[in-house]
Amino acid sequence: MGALFDVLTDNFDELAGGLWVTLRLVGASFAIALVVGTLVAALRIAPSKWLQRLGGVYVETFRNVPLLVLLFISFAGLRRAGVPISNWAAGIGSLGLYTAAYVAEVLRSGVFAVSRGQIEAALSLGFSYGATLRRIVLPQAFRTVIAPLASITIAMIKNSAIVGVSLLALPDLLKEARIVQSRTFQTDEAFFWAAVGYLLITASATIAFRRLERRFAIRR
Amino acid sequence: MANSDAGGPLVELRAVRKSFGDNLVLDDIDLAIAPGEAVVVAGPSGSGKSTMLRCINGLEEIDSGSVRFDGRPVDPRSKSIGPMRAEIGMVFQQFNLFPHKTVLENITLAPVKVKGIEPAAAQARARELLETVGIPEKAGASPADLSGGQQQRVAIARALAMDPKLMLFDEPTSALDPEMIREVLDVMRELARGGMTMVVVTHEMGFAREVCDRIVFIDDGRIVEQGPPAEFFAAAKSPRAREFVDKIIHH
Repeated sequence: MGALFDVLTDNFDELAGGLWVTLRLVGASFAIALVVGTLVAALRIAPSKWLQRLGGVYVETFRNVPLLVLLFISFAGLRRAGVPISNWAAGIGSLGLYTAAYVAEVLRSGVFAVSRGQIEAALSLGFSYGATLRRIVLPQAFRTVIAPLASITIAMIKNSAIVGVSLLALPDLLKEARIVQSRTFQTDEAFFWAAVGYLLITASATIAFRRLERRFAIRR
Repeated sequence: MANSDAGGPLVELRAVRKSFGDNLVLDDIDLAIAPGEAVVVAGPSGSGKSTMLRCINGLEEIDSGSVRFDGRPVDPRSKSIGPMRAEIGMVFQQFNLFPHKTVLENITLAPVKVKGIEPAAAQARARELLETVGIPEKAGASPADLSGGQQQRVAIARALAMDPKLMLFDEPTSALDPEMIREVLDVMRELARGGMTMVVVTHEMGFAREVCDRIVFIDDGRIVEQGPPAEFFAAAKSPRAREFVDKIIHH
């Protein structure tokens, strides 16, 4: 038992630093996923067939290509093509855009849960189609899909572990745990603390989403 | 200059036709409604009453003919439709209150965001309207906490908050329990007495007889007969209308 805690205290700076990197990676990716996911969902329900198709192409592309492949393409591929993209930008971009596809799909289902009558009520009050979407439909869609958004977010936090150990080599929690492991050969201990770190983030996200749900979920 | 001020009709439908697929729902509808008039639209289910009502504020697009409000064409595809709808209140069978807003927010949302009224002024007006519809104590409640009758009264207050020139009611009591129907009809009766121009699609023939100036009877997408309620109920001219009155009165 002593060895377990020794690994934590002896390598605290690395592990804590890795946790901080993972937090920033996850936070930035989440912001991208939410913004892009909302825009793509808006495309998919737009009153134009072409915009709907554009949204569909986005979802199918990013949902059907493995995250690891996206990371390779966005980093190695873009660099070879002469785009000087940083490992941070490639990591956040890949994870964010990949997750956005799932956010868009969940939001779209939330939009369909908003009744036609809500849209008609807003239109009849003089709101434009865009304002109706923004003020009435999307806020209700978000409130309807808080639980599935929590699942997507937790999946994203766990998916972030790929970024550090891929060729992007971001010094995130898992990457730092591997460094500790290879230096100390205390494999179980090092990865145990990595697991605890991920659990801390996912558990916090779960609690945050539960609060959101309690506060905002729609009673119908 | 607004047409209604010059003595013209507030609403005018001319030769309106509308189909859903192969199904002709409105067949050559001509109808004019004067400012201050309260009109009840009656007829069997599926006769096209609600569709006709929804053409007046452009929620339904017509295939041919014309719909005019206050002298201006109602065109769901034009930019002018939003501002025009802001002048036409609509009350739905299913209330359609916004579930993510409080009662007060439901009423102030459009005045503030569509008309640009100061939030404080909009709230003061909303509280007045809640007083008018008899539920001032529910301002902070969520729609889910209200009974159906209360929700429908809030929906009426929400429409009135825009100071509309015309109110459309689409079967406003059809989703309500019998004991709540009256509280909603009472509010509508007061509105009619106050001189509001209204078009009401309803099966409440007691309300029609007592409150409205004219009954428009629709069957199979056509206006079969129209006239003052006393005449309509006592001596409808067409066999279809007589049959309808018999069923409603004597069932």
